[in-house]
Amino acid sequence: MPKIRKVLVANRGEIAIRVMRTCKELGIATVAVYSEADRSALHVRTADQAFFVGPPPSRESYLVQERILEAAKQSGADAIHPGYGFLSENASFVRACEAAGITFIGPPASAMDAMGEKTRARANMIKAGVPVVPGTTEPIATEAEARDYAQKIGFPVMLKAAGGGGGKGMRRVEGLADFESAWRSAKSEALNAFGNDAVYIEKYLEKPHHVEIQVFADSHGNVIHLNERECSAQRRHQKVVEETPSPILTPEMRAKMGEVAVKAAKAVNYVGAGTVEFLVDVHRNFYFLEMNTRLQVEHPVTEWVTGLDLVALQIKVAEGEKLPLLQAPTPNGHSIEVRVYAEDPSRNFMPSPGKITYLRVPGGPNVRDDSGVFPGYTVPNFYDPMISKLSVWAPTRQEAIARAQRALGEYVVKGITTNIRYLKAILAHPEFVGGDYDTGFLGREHTPLQGVEDPKLTDMALLAGAVHAYQRDAKRAKTLPGAKAGASDAANQGRISPWRLALRSRRR
Amino acid sequence: MRYFTKQQGQKEAVPVDLEPLGGDRFKLTVNGVTYQVDALALEHGTMSMLVDGQSYSAEFEENGDEVGVLLRGQVNRFDIADERRLRLRAGTAAFSVEGKQLITAPMPGKVVKVLVKVGDEVKEGQGLVVVEAMKMENELKSPKAGKVTELFAKEGTAVENNAKLVVVE
Repeated sequence: MPKIRKVLVANRGEIAIRVMRTCKELGIATVAVYSEADRSALHVRTADQAFFVGPPPSRESYLVQERILEAAKQSGADAIHPGYGFLSENASFVRACEAAGITFIGPPASAMDAMGEKTRARANMIKAGVPVVPGTTEPIATEAEARDYAQKIGFPVMLKAAGGGGGKGMRRVEGLADFESAWRSAKSEALNAFGNDAVYIEKYLEKPHHVEIQVFADSHGNVIHLNERECSAQRRHQKVVEETPSPILTPEMRAKMGEVAVKAAKAVNYVGAGTVEFLVDVHRNFYFLEMNTRLQVEHPVTEWVTGLDLVALQIKVAEGEKLPLLQAPTPNGHSIEVRVYAEDPSRNFMPSPGKITYLRVPGGPNVRDDSGVFPGYTVPNFYDPMISKLSVWAPTRQEAIARAQRALGEYVVKGITTNIRYLKAILAHPEFVGGDYDTGFLGREHTPLQGVEDPKLTDMALLAGAVHAYQRDAKRAKTLPGAKAGASDAANQGRISPWRLALRSRRR
Repeated sequence: MRYFTKQQGQKEAVPVDLEPLGGDRFKLTVNGVTYQVDALALEHGTMSMLVDGQSYSAEFEENGDEVGVLLRGQVNRFDIADERRLRLRAGTAAFSVEGKQLITAPMPGKVVKVLVKVGDEVKEGQGLVVVEAMKMENELKSPKAGKVTELFAKEGTAVENNAKLVVVE
């Protein structure tokens, strides 16, 4: 396969920029695509070329395969990197790229078919002898059928979109009472996110950990794993904090799970970067959950502890090169990533789109911020509310937590509301610090995570607020004509309307 | 001068006495303690405050009458007014969930589902409207038990922030 010279990134926001950064370092030209809502987005300016692909809703722009391919043709791109979300796990898009003679940086369509549809993936894994969570191996047609099945395997159950992940179209159902609304929202979210409203049911394991294994395969049949990521800190099935190594994994367990993940990838002739997600129960049994056939949001923590650039590795594999290593490296140190969302934790995590009026991004040793925003940028309300991923590295977990706290303390975003303080509260929580936290942790700990007030700091905030009010009032008084004693008309002339001036001269 | 600062969620306003000492220096008294403060206002609503050798960086965000203060990782939301302004405001009704409740869009988005119709009896916490923004669906719930008297929300329409959606009485 020839070297890739120009990559079109079929995505937006932080991940588009992340991919372009590596391309620039490798001397590969980059092409951006943008919707009407993203003309001002940073990924457009980061790329060498940029093409318009349609109206703001992703279904009319970023998900329209013909437009993306048209942009690739016009720009002369020889490869497409799909990022995550959007078309990244769409087998028909992979085939369309092949047909157009464009390299798709990701697995072959056949591997996606086998893994992308979650129900088929479960069936394939059962065949390959991989342990799976009990549930249906087919999407469920009607609500009544779903209800019957849920009663058969017993509540709580999970409703899941067959077409994808990312927490979209997923609902945990505790009992019959909530079934109808959960079914309805899971289906409509799935349709909106993946263009496919198929939903299946899984048994909900009690207190499970979500641990995933990063795998990598080349086109010569070599498959390796790059250790695990602990992703149990989730809210509404969306990961909020990820770390590696997992605090609950022993080296033996890591080796065993890695082996099973490699087996899963081999079973579908996988190529490129993939992630095999497992649920680990209280007895430390692990079950295959699903395989994500793309680069994950949380890939930076793996990059921190392995020293690899996963995007560069994806490109090398797509160029037909062999993997540079043939076994998992021992994790070096500890890495934590937190996802900064434009949302308001005090208002039930309502999205908070709007203009970023001021932004100060953390820095210092071993701190990385992957973001797609800048001061003056308006966060649109058409896309995912994640605005940045902050990741840190330190020799030990304890030091990594301290570093993440320090970095979050430096982060200032004004104009929109973010979850930064919520993230700080999570990192300070005894259950998180202890390391044995399950996927229900954030749901259970909703109230304590709102933070405790320090009366001394409140007093200081009161002082600051009073001075601020005083200066604000003084400033207003200055701009109001005639409000300030001794302010001469001459000094104010530029600000007074001619009508008022005329009135004043008549008074004299 | 005296400023009254009412914190979000608190009933009583806390008085803060302020005496300008020239330049960025102030004498301030709060909760019975007097402080000498060097408060340097910077751009973008940032203030560097030095109090007895302690350094505090305060970030302000105005939201209508309310000021959010971020200081050492803690956020306080205050309603700050001097005596004159407090008098002007006297007589405005306090917020409560008695009587007529207007449910508005908490953010710009799209109404994807209307779950009630005019005349429906609803329970407290019952879902009224589903608004979608940033790919997440948010079900807006009734703040009280009552009857739906007005319905502005239409399925499939885009709504601005604070758009009227439903009235429950």
